[in-house]
Amino acid sequence: MGFIQKLVKWSRIKSPWIIHFNTGACNACDIEIVAALTPRFDIERFGIQLKGTPRHADVLVCSGPVTRQIQDRLVRIYEQMAHPKFVIAVGTCACSGGVFNGCYNVKGGIDSVIPVNAYVPGCAARPEAIIDAVAKLLASLDQPEKAAPELAETESPEGAVHG
Amino acid sequence: MANEQQIQTELVQKFPFLAEKFVIKRERRIFCETAYDHFLEVFGHAVEKMDFKIFATVTGLDEGENLSFLYHLSRLDGTLLNIKTSVSKTNPVLKTVTGWFPGSALYERELVDMFGAKVEGLPDGFRYPLPDSFPKDQHPLRKDWKPEMLPEGAGSIMEEK
Amino acid sequence: MSTDMKVMVPIGPQHPALKEPESFKVMLNGEKIFEVDVRLGYNHRGIEKACEQRSYIQDIYLIERICGICSHSHTTNFVQAVEEIAGIQVPKRGLYIRTIVAELERIHSHLLWLGVAGHEIGFDTLLMYTWRDREVVMDLLAALSGNRVNYGMNTIGGTRRDFTPEQLQEILRTMDVLEDRTKYYIEIASVEPTLIQRLSGVGFLSKEDAMRLGAVGPTGRASGVNYDIRRDDPYAAYSDVQFKVMVNENCDVYGRTLVRVGELMESYSIIRQLVKQMPDGPIAVKAPRRIPVGEAISRYEAPRGEDLHYVKGNGTDKPERVKVRAPTLANLQSVAKSLENNNLADVPITIAAIDPCFSCTDRMIQVDDAVFTWERLRAYGIDWYKSQRGIDFREVKKLPW
Repeated sequence: MGFIQKLVKWSRIKSPWIIHFNTGACNACDIEIVAALTPRFDIERFGIQLKGTPRHADVLVCSGPVTRQIQDRLVRIYEQMAHPKFVIAVGTCACSGGVFNGCYNVKGGIDSVIPVNAYVPGCAARPEAIIDAVAKLLASLDQPEKAAPELAETESPEGAVHG
Repeated sequence: MANEQQIQTELVQKFPFLAEKFVIKRERRIFCETAYDHFLEVFGHAVEKMDFKIFATVTGLDEGENLSFLYHLSRLDGTLLNIKTSVSKTNPVLKTVTGWFPGSALYERELVDMFGAKVEGLPDGFRYPLPDSFPKDQHPLRKDWKPEMLPEGAGSIMEEK
Repeated sequence: MSTDMKVMVPIGPQHPALKEPESFKVMLNGEKIFEVDVRLGYNHRGIEKACEQRSYIQDIYLIERICGICSHSHTTNFVQAVEEIAGIQVPKRGLYIRTIVAELERIHSHLLWLGVAGHEIGFDTLLMYTWRDREVVMDLLAALSGNRVNYGMNTIGGTRRDFTPEQLQEILRTMDVLEDRTKYYIEIASVEPTLIQRLSGVGFLSKEDAMRLGAVGPTGRASGVNYDIRRDDPYAAYSDVQFKVMVNENCDVYGRTLVRVGELMESYSIIRQLVKQMPDGPIAVKAPRRIPVGEAISRYEAPRGEDLHYVKGNGTDKPERVKVRAPTLANLQSVAKSLENNNLADVPITIAAIDPCFSCTDRMIQVDDAVFTWERLRAYGIDWYKSQRGIDFREVKKLPW
């Protein structure tokens, strides 16, 4: 792998930027995601930063079942992210629709709309499990073909280098 | 249950037609029922003369030929007065109670979206809780509505491109 | 010269480039807000319809997930209504367990709110401290129920889990720790001039407006509406305990803060009383699968205010109708009013002051065609108060532990 790609990968593993998106959840997973930022769990010691915009994010952390209202927006946000990008589905609802499966306004889990790299089940998913998912995802970057299928085909240097 | 009985006495005295279906279920839970043409009088009296100054919400019910509406009024002493009224499903017209409670607009809009009620006098505004692209003639809480009736893509809040 | 800027605030996390339905359309005159139009409907999942197609027991788990922060409120409220229709008397011990979990939920919710409010005004130290203390409650709830959120404690007829004597002792120890910490938050709230300045006079809601617009919970009580379902329409074990209802006449965000912090202290006291008086006996009675024809309305004082559930049974094992009126829905209507005559800089904290569901606080604001994210508006608010009023939370002395 070329030097630039090695640098990009190193900086991505050292300091991934995440965007958090709630697709209609009950908020339990959302507060566990925020709890991951607080001193007890302190996700920031991994260099992880919560960003407000998809364009600067490496990882999309999604909670909630996909409602009809939100599905197109979810796809747009995913499209806005630069390659390589990863998606973590946090919570049982994000994995499969959870208790809301079968409700007329709910389409299903996140993977009914966009590809997902890591599933964190739980209702709500514990902060430790969320951190574990992010850590496993980062470790898997060493094996790009496992992380995101599109990555294996196109080692695109589009992704910004984060210092 | 002196408090509840007092409420019963006053309401039935003023509106004798309430007597037939007046029920004190337990302390702080009073249920009564009236045809729609008398509903606003009863409601107005409870709010203005009997201190039921808190409007909790209105529950819509699909009862076959009719749509029924249960208005939940509360007082600071904790008593809940529930006034039920019905209109026909083919022409479910109600008048708004926003004159007494501006906060009721959202609850009435829910009746419009979910049951197909027509609420006269409701201030102009968005629909609630369904998104704009949800078909206007489908009302999910009606018993005959099934999710399969929704066209594909309905309900998305993204604008058509 | 005043400029009429149209600022639109939709609910829900959104991306700047996408057109979104507004949720708060705020009309500005220069800096001051003169009109607010509320638009909602974002998180609609069709729960009420789904309840009709599932059994009562399945509905408990569905309803628990209406909101993850006050999930116990919703399930307790629901089972109370079902129990009333079926004429079921829950044993005292079951009621006590429900009430203890209810108050623990109130504690975790108010501490969460304190942190969020701190974050909105730039007082991040408060966020970190309160959420760290909140972990104490989360640990306790996890030990008692098996989960940090969505406890699954209720069933129709009582509770599913009992508390051991050791757990009861642990609860008392936790109350001591939290009470100590909360005393500092009270001190900060009552004497720290920066905080008082930042929150006083903001988001004014008169008592008349609070009543007319149906404000409930701490939002209403901070405007002098002396109404608390625990005292005025008692349920569970609340008739067996003494507590003060926190009311004040401040009518502003500062008042709402005082109510919530005061309620924390009352919750510690309520829980201590319940543990001390805990009766022995069964925690549940067997409930029939089919609930008779009938209807009932149950009310509950959730951390955010009055939650109302209407349930209608039709003799089968599935309900005929379930209606939920959550407290945030009642309070959102008063936010529009309380924003009037405030500055744009006050929007984040005024909306946060009604304690809306967390996901509802991810918002986007569109000013003309330029786009503000919630983060940017929050930063705008913090900077405005720093430059215009000299309020800077970095100057606040650190909390003493």
